[in-house]
Amino acid sequence: MAEETLRPAWSSQFDPEVLPRLATSGPVGEITPEWAWGGSTGKGVRVAVVDSGVEAAHPALDGCIRGGVAFEYDESLESRVRLEADDPPVDLTGHGTACAGIIHSIAPEAEIYSVRVLGRELRGKALQFAAGLRWALDHGMQVVNLSLSTSKEEYYGLFHKLADEAYFMNVLLVSAANNYPVASYPSLYSSVISVAASDGGDPFTYFYNPAPPVEFGAPGIDVDVAWLNGGRSQITGNSFAAPHIAGITALILSKYPELTPFQVKTVLMACARNVAQAGA
Amino acid sequence: MTEPTPSPDPILRGQLLHLLEAVEASGRAVLPRQDGELLLLVVEAAARIFGAAAASIALVDEAGQYLEFRVSYGAGNESLVGMRIPINQGIAGYVAITGQPLAVSNVRTDPRFSKDFAQSTGYVPQSILAMPLISGERVIGVMEVLDKISAPSFGMQDMELLGIFARQAAIAIHQAQQVSRLDAAFLRELRQLAGQHDDAGLLKDLLDGLAQTGNGEGEQLKAVADVFYALNLLGEAEQRACFEVLSAFARYAKRTPADIRGME
Repeated sequence: MAEETLRPAWSSQFDPEVLPRLATSGPVGEITPEWAWGGSTGKGVRVAVVDSGVEAAHPALDGCIRGGVAFEYDESLESRVRLEADDPPVDLTGHGTACAGIIHSIAPEAEIYSVRVLGRELRGKALQFAAGLRWALDHGMQVVNLSLSTSKEEYYGLFHKLADEAYFMNVLLVSAANNYPVASYPSLYSSVISVAASDGGDPFTYFYNPAPPVEFGAPGIDVDVAWLNGGRSQITGNSFAAPHIAGITALILSKYPELTPFQVKTVLMACARNVAQAGA
Repeated sequence: MTEPTPSPDPILRGQLLHLLEAVEASGRAVLPRQDGELLLLVVEAAARIFGAAAASIALVDEAGQYLEFRVSYGAGNESLVGMRIPINQGIAGYVAITGQPLAVSNVRTDPRFSKDFAQSTGYVPQSILAMPLISGERVIGVMEVLDKISAPSFGMQDMELLGIFARQAAIAIHQAQQVSRLDAAFLRELRQLAGQHDDAGLLKDLLDGLAQTGNGEGEQLKAVADVFYALNLLGEAEQRACFEVLSAFARYAKRTPADIRGME
């Protein structure tokens, strides 16, 4: 009982003891990781990292950062948000650099753009976040890594609208669940690929969970990541699980650019570790 | 039945002990105290509960621009207190801006790049578990526990547990801050009143009265303080109303000096 209450909700779904073993049949059951992303480098796929910025010169990124913008809170504007150039991008916290580094390590030829939405102050965060996501949709991004979320109900509608728009534009939103067991948007919407931390260190081993709130579990516990000032660190959080799936998604889209979000999700599901071919 | 009683699972027992300590420390923390004393109590409890070498609390300043380290317990504590970092920088900054906890271990900086903040405090932690202190929907600060002694890094269970503890601590800290802000506003109004008349005589009398028990005037002021405290437990709108009433009273009092002198 006590042990149960200490377990965080966001990772408990991917505990091997409770995670269902699933089977797929027909052509979907025949999809393998080799078919899905074998030989792919993510070449030609544009990935936005909506976060705290990215340290573009970090040695782990090998110059994969193609540009960046920043959104600052500005009370004098009607939109409350001001767009600024951030090129070459900077990162004040290390968090965005960690996410970009994970994506690059999986999809080395993907083109990564930094969209900095964690600004200089505490106010207006959700509006900056929404503006950053809007920018990504308007600028031809194919995969958007969202290792951040809002828990404010008042923004439910705004983010839902953006997520639906992304879905019909064939833009994949990969959204980390909050580290606290609270409702967090956009990770709760079915149109996004929601991700939480699961055990294990292999970047290509992830799990699928058919029940809400989180669909995919990827490495997010004590992950070795790129950090500030050219450094590295070991870090824990759902934030670092999402870019694993974003990287794999970039590999799949590089190989099969015509796939739609629900098809990509099907491919991801079929290649999850706990999903087997029926009868195999 | 002669079956021997099974010995309790030592891990479970340890977790229960931690939970009880957390509840006990949070309960004690809810008592209104001097700001610094309360914060120190919270970080000491955090370090003890999580078996950490050090713990600290940084609070967001009123303008929301900086995090200021207010108390620290354990290794490297002298140099950290009083340090201010921009609200959006470093691990503590990330936690403050996003309201999300973060566990970092084994931070290694590439020597080709500039030194980071931790090195300027003279104590470079191996592992950091940073939690937001959230009151209502507002992040009021960040609590960090550094270098777990019993394990190489902080795991998810610690993140969850520190979350429970941090929520309790944030409520207590926010309440203490509100009480001290209301106290300051009350004294400011009193000083303004006193300033209108012979020096600070009125203020001195009022404060003396507050300090005395059994004195009618003191009792009255204590009752006023109780009203302030009760208002503080309500929402921000009620607190604003309180300020407005107090300000209106001050304006009214300025117009009728004879009545005020009567009080003297």
